[in-house]
Amino acid sequence: MHQTTAITVGGQSRPATSEDGLSALSTPVRSLYAHVPFCFHKCHYCDFYSFVDSQDRQPAFTDALISEIRTLARHARRASPGSARPPLDTVFVGGGTPSLLRPDLWHRLLAALNEAFDLSAPGLEFTVECNPETVTPELIATLRAGGVNRVSMGAQSFNTTHLKTLERWHDPENVPRALEIAAAGGIPRRSIDLIFAIPGQSLTDWETDLARGLSLCTPAGRGIGRSGGLEGSGGVEHISCYALTYEPNTAMTRRLARGEFAAAPDDLEARMYERTVELCAERGFGRYEVSNFAQPGAESRHNLAYWRQQQWLAAGPSASAHVAGWRWKNVPRLTDWMQGVERSGGYAPAADVEPPDPRRALAERLMMGVRIAEGLPGHEILAAAESLGARDTLRREAERQERKGLLRVSGGRWTLTDRGFLFADGVAAELMSVLQR
Amino acid sequence: MHIRNFSIIAHIDHGKSTLADRLLTSTNAVSEREAREQMLDSMDLERERGITIKASAVTVTHHHVPGSKLDQLESDVEATPGEAPAPAPAKPKKGKPAYDPRSELYMLNFIDTPGHVDFSYEVSRALTACEGAILVVDSTQGVEAQTVANAFMAMENNLTLIPVVNKIDLPSADPDRVAMEIEQVLGLPAEDCIYVSAKSGIGIPELLAAICDRLPAPRQPEVSQTRALIFDSHYDDYRGVVIYIRVFDGRLRVGEKIRMMGTGRTFQVTELGKYTPKPMKVESLGPGETGYLVANIKTLKDVRVGDTITLDTDPAPKPLPGYKEPRQMVFCDFYPTSGSAAKGNDFEELREAITKLSLNDASFTFVPVHSEALGFGFRCGFLGLLHMDIIQERLEREGGVEIIQTAPTVTYELEKTDGEVLQITNPAELPDGSVWKELREPIVRLDIMTPKEFIGDIMAMCGNRRGIYKGQTVVSESRQILEYEIPLAEIIYDFFDKLKSITRGYGTMDYHLLGFKADRLAKVDILVNGDPVEALSLICHRDNAEYRGRQLLVRLREEIPRHQFEIPLQAAIGGKIIARETIKSMRKNVTAKCYGGDVSRKRKLLEKQKEGKKRMKAIGSVEIPQEAFMAVLDQGE
Ligand SMILES: Nc1nc2c(ncn2[C@@H]2O[C@H](COP(=O)(O)OP(=O)(O)O)[C@@H](O)[C@H]2O)c(=O)[nH]1
Ligand code: SF4
Ligand SMILES: [Mg+2]
Repeated sequence: MHQTTAITVGGQSRPATSEDGLSALSTPVRSLYAHVPFCFHKCHYCDFYSFVDSQDRQPAFTDALISEIRTLARHARRASPGSARPPLDTVFVGGGTPSLLRPDLWHRLLAALNEAFDLSAPGLEFTVECNPETVTPELIATLRAGGVNRVSMGAQSFNTTHLKTLERWHDPENVPRALEIAAAGGIPRRSIDLIFAIPGQSLTDWETDLARGLSLCTPAGRGIGRSGGLEGSGGVEHISCYALTYEPNTAMTRRLARGEFAAAPDDLEARMYERTVELCAERGFGRYEVSNFAQPGAESRHNLAYWRQQQWLAAGPSASAHVAGWRWKNVPRLTDWMQGVERSGGYAPAADVEPPDPRRALAERLMMGVRIAEGLPGHEILAAAESLGARDTLRREAERQERKGLLRVSGGRWTLTDRGFLFADGVAAELMSVLQR
Repeated sequence: MHIRNFSIIAHIDHGKSTLADRLLTSTNAVSEREAREQMLDSMDLERERGITIKASAVTVTHHHVPGSKLDQLESDVEATPGEAPAPAPAKPKKGKPAYDPRSELYMLNFIDTPGHVDFSYEVSRALTACEGAILVVDSTQGVEAQTVANAFMAMENNLTLIPVVNKIDLPSADPDRVAMEIEQVLGLPAEDCIYVSAKSGIGIPELLAAICDRLPAPRQPEVSQTRALIFDSHYDDYRGVVIYIRVFDGRLRVGEKIRMMGTGRTFQVTELGKYTPKPMKVESLGPGETGYLVANIKTLKDVRVGDTITLDTDPAPKPLPGYKEPRQMVFCDFYPTSGSAAKGNDFEELREAITKLSLNDASFTFVPVHSEALGFGFRCGFLGLLHMDIIQERLEREGGVEIIQTAPTVTYELEKTDGEVLQITNPAELPDGSVWKELREPIVRLDIMTPKEFIGDIMAMCGNRRGIYKGQTVVSESRQILEYEIPLAEIIYDFFDKLKSITRGYGTMDYHLLGFKADRLAKVDILVNGDPVEALSLICHRDNAEYRGRQLLVRLREEIPRHQFEIPLQAAIGGKIIARETIKSMRKNVTAKCYGGDVSRKRKLLEKQKEGKKRMKAIGSVEIPQEAFMAVLDQGE
């Protein structure tokens, strides 16, 4: 499915690797994403690269990941002279189910990571995605010792019927339990993911689910990093609420096509979203991105780096990177990725490689930046558009979106209105279209 | 040398082309291998010079022993290589027998006819150039509607018919039954049928003998002056217009000045020739002969199929009988796909493509139009629906333009209260109802051939569509022909598809224009968000107006995507609303998840979302996709 991209250098065509983008790195990069592809069951809505590993490939995977991380650090070091170990501000280990990686392998991985990068920056955000079933005090202790200070728990729903529809296997009662283990083990920042607009879910069902999620919150005023909350000590400071999306090539989409169930009606989904914003606000969780809500100061800095079009490094199969204007994705197939990394001494075969292009970069900036509450820096955006000869058309388009009541342009930052958040794709598409030739 | 001019006529897929190919390879001593090479030759020619060779009439020679029922195939007789087409017997060579010494040489001219009812005018012209026709009927299918229509047309032109029952190699062939059908429906004796397989060659010797023996020789000249009938023409980028002619009286020679008797225009003949099927130049064409003529004619508009050519120096007093203008029956608009008012160049591209195509096909008409909804485009007239499809396809394929097509309509005749009669080819042109005296629509005679068990359903469908039952003919025990008079408007769009589905594919139909008749017709306007969209308006019977209006609104509701506001849809007659629907407002358009790994894919999706919008037409603040303009075609049942 994912072919490596062919790259032509000096008339010779060869498969692209992460080295092509990494060699262009010239300014300090402060974020790293690592992908762990193992899950113990494939959820039906999931389009992440993840699979059930029947052959115990975890050790070999960890070795390859470490090798890739070392290579990344070498490039990062060149771009931040003067530091033996290049410092990172955010690390995010996603998946898959990273908490499925065995504690001994985690131990090796974290040791290598700390050896390669400097993780002592004040305000470091180091997140690991966890499945509530797999969180143990032992795992948490290992993570904590390696610098992890944030967990993101895949709760999805507290309703067993809806979890069943999603083919998501966990006991909802394990969510608070896992959060408490994390809190007790010294992980100060905790987040949960929820899904709404599940087939068969009513507005009330969703409100109940969300209320349950919010009831896990850190009491207002206790600040970040404090444990405590209404349900024991495992409070959360951050909630992601996603409308169920039918991604191509997922079981959920096939079941929908087969007519096994009907997708939630548009109006219901919109209503659920509006209620989400209201209920979160009532509990002190502000919307800082379309689907992300946090107590003040608890926003995910790693994800903000994506939305702000910053650079990040990527390790692991299917992980995508953004470095020096290049974008690429490591090949997803575990064996392809491992063999590539082994053979080249730490470089992953790359797919979907996009070399720097100012027009594309600005389009992506608009698309990602419009999604966050802080919005886009208007002057900077217009300056970038200027060099593409699109300053006036872009300004006019932004003003048109303002007249439609979707965007606020005044005050230097372009931010979506409440209504605009419901039409973020339309706004982005219109803004981006002025850049198309 | 004897001459025989004939056409092959058949219902579609009964094997006309296959039989024509088989006759070519069986005559002229052209081997299958050579036939292929010839094809290659002409393809190369086309490629090199960018010209299209359309052989509308092919001349071959054949040896026949008069009275013999079974001819040698030329392909079984040894010919001298390089001499073909050899007008004289070739020397015998090793292996193959020589020509029978009693044989005489025949020049056979096949004249190709367009197969479809849309082109019946052209078919009738081509038939006028012949004395005979081979009527091909598929032995696994039997007589079909177009078999009947074409056979009757040939009979009206006093042609001698040779009925041929084809595909007898197939296990499901039932040639005797089909021969009986031919006798029953067309009155051609069953024993006159020749059973063949155009594919395997069975029966071809008998057929060639019958062509020579049964078909009459060309008639004797009637006047001393030269008269030749134009039965087809095509445009060739290299030589200009190539005209296909049949000489009836006198002779045409290269270098002579000719006059078209209908248009009065004169031209100098630069080339005469025949396709054998390779083009072969000749110095002159005499009575009874068929061939092509090139005379430095720049556009097809200067040539009318059916016109008579005479010599400028010694013109004939009267043209050959029966010239009629081809009549456009179906009209629709073509607009460039992305032709918003802002983008004038798409329109220019379309204009160029249409102009170029009109050099090739003089039977469609076009005039520029402007529609508020769709911008600048052309109102085009066609001989029929198939003709419309062909033109659209050729414009897109050869002209490289993408077209949005509006619903086809027929021509209406409006008689106003002041006595003036207007030809209305576009519902948008209809004046206000207050000045109407009578609105008339074209009525056709429709013949439907069907297995008996479907008659009830077909009658119901024709009844629903204002058809008047005229009669019924028994074809065979199991099949009948139903005869109706029905408004053309009722059958131009989906009638044939519906007929096919009712009859599980077995029903066939044919129609021809009878005239115009008044009925209680009304113009239904469609309003989108309060704005009338004339490209969606339609003319229909008053009794059907609510139904058709509502039907259309329901389809529009499906086709027009939700907007950020609610969109009322209304159907109205003269300002009175007769149906309404609402498109609910879109509630959201936002992807829930968008992280680092999704950037490229998401960007492409959004760009596509916007691309898709480009192919929509903005009416006020409503974006209407092009498919919606086709919704008006769906008449529902
Ligand atoms: N088996 C068989 N198939 C035939 C014969 N003649 C024509 N066909 C097939 O019938 C189909 C239609 O033939 P074609 O010559 O294109 O029909 P046209 O539409 O009348 O020109 C083609 O697939 C031919 O190969 C025949 O004698 N025997
Ligand atoms: S746990 Fe996450 S990554 Fe694994 S299958 Fe489920 S949704 Fe996909
Ligand atoms: Mg054919």
